[in-house]
Amino acid sequence: MKNHDDEVIISYFLKAGVIISVSFLVTGVLIIFLKNGGDGVTLSQLSSYNYAYRHHIDSARISLSNIPNGLTALDGLYFITVGLWVLIFTPITVVFIGWVSFLEDKNYLYVAMASIVLFNLFFAMLVIPRYVV
Amino acid sequence: MTIIIIILKFLSIVLGSIIAGFIGSLTGLGGGTVLVPVLTLFYGIPFIFAAGASLISTIATSAGSASAYTKKKIANIRIGIGLEIATTTGAIVGSLTLVTIDKDHLIFVVYILFGVILLFSLIPTIKKIGAEIPPETKPDWTTKLFQLTDSYYDERLKQRVKYHGIRWWLGEIVMFFAGFVSGLLGIGSGALKVLGMDWAMNLPMKVTTTSSNFMIGITAATGSSIYWYEGYINLFIAAATAIGVLIGAYLGAKVLVKISNENIRWVFFAILSFLGFDMVFKGFHLINFLITFSLTIQFFISIAISIVMIGLLYWHTKRKVFADKQGDKK
Repeated sequence: MKNHDDEVIISYFLKAGVIISVSFLVTGVLIIFLKNGGDGVTLSQLSSYNYAYRHHIDSARISLSNIPNGLTALDGLYFITVGLWVLIFTPITVVFIGWVSFLEDKNYLYVAMASIVLFNLFFAMLVIPRYVV
Repeated sequence: MTIIIIILKFLSIVLGSIIAGFIGSLTGLGGGTVLVPVLTLFYGIPFIFAAGASLISTIATSAGSASAYTKKKIANIRIGIGLEIATTTGAIVGSLTLVTIDKDHLIFVVYILFGVILLFSLIPTIKKIGAEIPPETKPDWTTKLFQLTDSYYDERLKQRVKYHGIRWWLGEIVMFFAGFVSGLLGIGSGALKVLGMDWAMNLPMKVTTTSSNFMIGITAATGSSIYWYEGYINLFIAAATAIGVLIGAYLGAKVLVKISNENIRWVFFAILSFLGFDMVFKGFHLINFLITFSLTIQFFISIAISIVMIGLLYWHTKRKVFADKQGDKK
């Protein structure tokens, strides 16, 4: 990378991602303790691992399209959901910043390689859950 | 009353994750490698939930420490993103393999694999205590094509270190396996990534460890999204581990700078090999194959084996260091 400020930008993005994520996680945890659970599940069901495992009380039952409603209803589980998804997206921004800077440098080989990485990431996120599994 | 118990349960997972993050950061293996055994062996959490919580927490530690390293411009983002082609592909294949294994009720296989991989990843980690800059090699055709030449400023040597990578294709092959292991076991598989860049591509240790650190996050993000839709993430556990591992890794990084005595790290290697053996035993125990004795006895046998093994390795390494010193005098 010719433009070495990119590394500083990346470092800020990573730090910001972690801080935002942890704030959502901590808020969510406080809410589920105050409200005794969330999203129709009680705290004791959520925290009994084997019960939760058998009754599928896990990430698969949480629909991401419900996030706006969940957040406005102050549902703790949706705050945790947002925290975890911010975490997942944080490293993806690094690849994206890399992609833009390779493009600026006219380093087309690496533009192509970063595109493949981004493709894999979105393939895992959007295609596999719907069609493969 | 029950709410107090649940709060304590939550805090105990946070505490376990702090310890896992701490050991993971001191040994350079990453939080997940310690976290998955701790959650499954001591907390009785099903493997699937342990892997899910661990993989997503790995992103937090990777992003947290990478933000410090990239700023110092040691990590090579270009080489890292290039290798991510293989790790993300590997992570997709690995997570889908875990899904298949889970559906076929073969989860014991994952326990055994986990233990074996943990034990094997100790070898390069122990060996790496030493050489900072790799032996001189001639650039090959991939060096020029994939632009593997760069430099960084080494604070300890107080000079700019120029370096170039070779055998890019071999690096990609190792990275595919690193990604596969990450998706299959819910860990960052930093040890394998280091192996890919250090052994295969002949990059300096500083570049290798820092680049692998930020690559772990991208690989784990790929696996985590598949885990999410499969329902491998229990939000209660994952929230606790993400917070805990992050604190642990932060403390570990602070302490790491101050530790001058290498001997302390050997204690952690002993703990890791104990976890490795215990995971293998638990795997066999699940199918009542060879190991049918109780979990407590397994626990003590694992402790005994790991103390003997690490003791022998320690003795072996020290003897070699001693012999080298004698050689220098002559």
